[in-house]
Amino acid sequence: MKKAILFTSFCLTAMFVSAQDLISKIPSNASAVVALKGKNFTELVTTTEFENSKLGNLFFKELTKKTDGKVTNLESLGVDVEQNFYYFLQNEEGSLTHTFLVPLKNKENIVALLPERTQERVEADGNISYFTDLYDAAVTMWNNETLIMVIYQEANTYDDYGYDDFYGYDDYTITEEAADAVEATEDDMDGVIEDVVEDAAEAVAVEEEIVVEKIEDDEEYIEETVIESTESEYDENGYYNEDYYNDDYYKKQEERRLEREAKQEERRKENLVTVLEKAKSILTGNYAQGSILSNKDYVSSIGSDKEEASFWINDFGSLYMEAMPAIFGSSGVNNPYAMFNFDRLYGGMSLTSKLNFEEDKASIKTIYKMNDEMAQYHKAMYNGKMNSNFFKYFNEDQIQGYFAVNASTEGTLKAYPQMIDAMFSGVEESNLQDIVPITTRFISLLLDEEAIARIIRGDMLFVMNGIEQKEVTYTTYEYDENYESTEVTKTKMETIPNFLFMVTSEEKEIFDRLMRIGAKEGVVTFENGFYQLNIPDVPFSLNMLFKGNTLLIGNSAKDLMAISNGSFNAKVSSKHKKLIAKNSGSIYINGKYITKSIPSDMVPEAYKEKLNYISNNVEDIEFKVGKMKGNVLEGEFILNTPKGKGHKNSLAYFINMIDALID
Amino acid sequence: MYRIRTMIKKFTQYVLLVFSLALCTSCFEILEEINLNENGSGSMLVTFNLSKSKNKLASIMLLDSVNGYKVPSKDDINLALKDAENHLKTIKGITNIKKTADYQNYIFTLSCDFDKVASLDAVFQDLIKQQNKKEKTNFNTSNFSYNSDTNNFQRLFSYDSNIKKSFYKLKGEDRKIFNDASYTSIYRFKNSVKSVSNTSAKVSPNKKAVLLKIDAMSLILGEKSVANTIQLSK
Repeated sequence: MKKAILFTSFCLTAMFVSAQDLISKIPSNASAVVALKGKNFTELVTTTEFENSKLGNLFFKELTKKTDGKVTNLESLGVDVEQNFYYFLQNEEGSLTHTFLVPLKNKENIVALLPERTQERVEADGNISYFTDLYDAAVTMWNNETLIMVIYQEANTYDDYGYDDFYGYDDYTITEEAADAVEATEDDMDGVIEDVVEDAAEAVAVEEEIVVEKIEDDEEYIEETVIESTESEYDENGYYNEDYYNDDYYKKQEERRLEREAKQEERRKENLVTVLEKAKSILTGNYAQGSILSNKDYVSSIGSDKEEASFWINDFGSLYMEAMPAIFGSSGVNNPYAMFNFDRLYGGMSLTSKLNFEEDKASIKTIYKMNDEMAQYHKAMYNGKMNSNFFKYFNEDQIQGYFAVNASTEGTLKAYPQMIDAMFSGVEESNLQDIVPITTRFISLLLDEEAIARIIRGDMLFVMNGIEQKEVTYTTYEYDENYESTEVTKTKMETIPNFLFMVTSEEKEIFDRLMRIGAKEGVVTFENGFYQLNIPDVPFSLNMLFKGNTLLIGNSAKDLMAISNGSFNAKVSSKHKKLIAKNSGSIYINGKYITKSIPSDMVPEAYKEKLNYISNNVEDIEFKVGKMKGNVLEGEFILNTPKGKGHKNSLAYFINMIDALID
Repeated sequence: MYRIRTMIKKFTQYVLLVFSLALCTSCFEILEEINLNENGSGSMLVTFNLSKSKNKLASIMLLDSVNGYKVPSKDDINLALKDAENHLKTIKGITNIKKTADYQNYIFTLSCDFDKVASLDAVFQDLIKQQNKKEKTNFNTSNFSYNSDTNNFQRLFSYDSNIKKSFYKLKGEDRKIFNDASYTSIYRFKNSVKSVSNTSAKVSPNKKAVLLKIDAMSLILGEKSVANTIQLSK
C-alpha cells in the first residue's frame, strides 16, 4: 500500500514537472497557491481562435489603445500564454510575501511595455533584470523565461495603543498638541481682536458727536491699533506669531520624528534587501526543502493536472493566526474576529477550488477539509436521509428546476449548540466562555430535538414544475342597450409557474388539527382530497396534502389532485435521484426548458433571435454540496454544455455564446 | 475595457431577460361615467380597473421596484386616493364624495355629485394648469361644459404631442403596459341625444346615453380623441 502511494506521488510529481513549469519556483511552505494553466486553456481554445473571436478582438482593441499600439496580439504581449501562471502566498513569522509568476516568451516585449521612467530604474545582475519599489517593498524581476513580482507585507508591531517604534502614531501626539496650540492661539487671537474692536467701537460711540474728521481719525486709530496689535503678536494670517515650534518640547518631538523616519527608511531598505534576496531565490527556485510539489497536502489536494485554474489554501486556521499581526497588529486589538475561538472553528481547515472546462461541461469544484471537531458537527447536521416518497411526486420531464436539502433536524439541533460553545470557548471577553454555554444548554433543555425532528425531519425538496396555462377570473363591465354598466366576472388564461414543496414529517395529527381549525375559521377549504388555503395578496391559492410521511404544498390543484388520488405521473432518472439523495444540498436548473417555455408572444422581436440562440444552446445547471466524507465536504457547480451545436468544448462554448449575443 | 464591460453587461442582460419577461405585459381600463340632470347637476364616477392584471399586480406589489420603477405600496395608493378626495372637497359645488379601493381585484373608484357642470370642470382645471406649467404641456384647461340654453354638452380635449413624446421616452417593454389598456366614457342624459360629433361614439337605442370606448394606444398616439359635442333635445 505504502509503495502504491509512493508510486502515485511519483507519477503525479513527474506529471507536474514534465514541462519547464514555474511550479518548481513555489516553495513547499507556501500557504496558498493559485494556478492558471495556460497550457490547458490554449489546448481548448488556441490563441488564434481567441484572437479571432469578437471577445478577443475587443480585448486587443482596448489593450492596443491602452499601450499606445505596442500590444496588438498575444505574441506582442511577450508572455507565454501556453505555459502556466501562478500566484503564491508565504507566511513567515507573521510577514506575508505575495509572489506572481509569469512565463515569458519574449522579455523585450514586456520590458517595452514599462513606462520610460520605470525602464530607467531597471538594474541588471547577471542574466536577471529587476526594478524595485522601496515604499511598497516590491520587486519585479525577470530573466529570459520568467517574470516574477514579489510584494512583501511586513508584520505590524503595533501595541495595544497603536504605538510603534517605526510606523506608530507618536506623530499624532505632536499633531494633536500642535493643533491644540494653534486652536488656543486662534481662540486667544479672536479674543484680542474682539476686545480691540469692541474698545474702538465704544470709543467711536462716545465720540460720535464729534466732527467727522475726528471719527475718521479714531477709525484710523482703531485700524492702526488692530494692525499694530496683530503685528506684534499675530502674523498676517492671524496665527500666533510667537514661535511655538521653536520651544524645547517641539524640538524634542521633531528630533524623535526624524529619528523615527530614519528608522522607517532603514527598515524599508532592510525589507527591500530581504525581498530582493527572496525574489532571486524564487527565480532560481532551488529550495533546500523542495518545491510545493514536495508538499503532500498540496499534491493530494490538487490531484490531476487537467483543471484550467486552481486555488489552494493550506491550514486556514494557522494562516489566519500567523497572518494576524500583518493584518490587525500584534495585539489583535482591532481584530473583529478576536471574540471567536478561531482555531477550534477553522484550525486544520484547507480549501481547494478547481475550475475545469471539459468537453461537455464547465465546473468549479471546491473541497473543504475541516478539523475533526468541526467534521463531527457537520456530519451530525448533514446526516439526513432523503425521503424516497418525494420521487413519487416528481416528473423530470416537466421540471424547470429544483432545490433539495438533505439535512438532519435532530442532528442540527444537537450539534449546533456544541458548535456555538466551541466558537466562544476560551473567550474571556465579556465572560463569553461561560455565558454562551449556559445559554445554549438552557435552549437545549427547552427543546426536544427528537420531537421537533418528528415534525420536520430535515429533508425537503422544492420543485418548480414548469409553467401552466391557468384560467383566472377578472372583473370588467358590460353595458345594456341603454349603456347602463354592470360589473361582470370573466375568465382568461394566464401563464403561472407551478411549484411543489415536499417536507418529511411524522406529525400528520398536528397537520390535521391545524387544517380543522382553518376550516372552522373559514380560511381553509377541503376539496378533491386536499386542503386549499387562499392567502390575501398572493396570486395563487396554496394546496396542501399530507400523504404517507410527506407534507406537500403546491399551487397546482391538478398536481395535488393527481397525487391525492394516486394518479400522478412520476418520472425520475438515476441522474436526478443521485443529485437529490446523495448530496446534502443540491440545486438544479433546466435552462433549455425554461427558455423554451417562454411564450413567444411575450418576447419582443428584437430579442427573439437572441433568445432562440440561447434556447438552442443552453443546457442544465447543477450545484451540489456532497455529504461529509471523513473530514471532507465537497461542493460543485456544473454548467452542462450542449453536444452537436458546434462547440468543441465548454470554454469554446462560452466564447461562442458571447460572440453570438454581443452586437 | 469599457466595451468589454458593456459587452458582459449585455450578455448578462440577455440571460436575465429570459427570467424577467413574465412581468412585462399588463392591461387596465379607465371608465368615466357622468349622469347629467336637466338642470345641469349630476354625478360622476371614475373607475380605474386593473382586475385583468390582478395576479401580476399582486406579485409586483410584493416587490419594492420593477424595471427601475418604485412599486407603490397599499399605503401609497390609499394616500393618493385620499389626496384626490381632499382635492374634490375643496371644489365648490362638489358633494357626496366617495372612494373605494378593492385590492382583491385591483379596482379603484372615485365618485361625486356636482351642482353644475362648471363645478365638475373646476375639479380638473387646477390640476391641468399645474400639469401644463410643470411639464410645459398645452392641454386645454376646460374639460366639460354644458349650455342649458342650447342643451349642448361638451367633452373637451386637445391632443398634445408631448403625450407621444413622453410615451416614447418609456422603455420598449414598459410601453407594452398600454397595449391592452382602454378608456371608456358613458354619459347619460335625461333628454334625448340628437347628435354627437365624435364618430367613434355610440348613441344608445333609447337615445339617452352616449358610449365612447377608445384603446389607450389610439389616444396616446393622437389617432382618436375623447372630445365630443353632444346635442340634446329640448
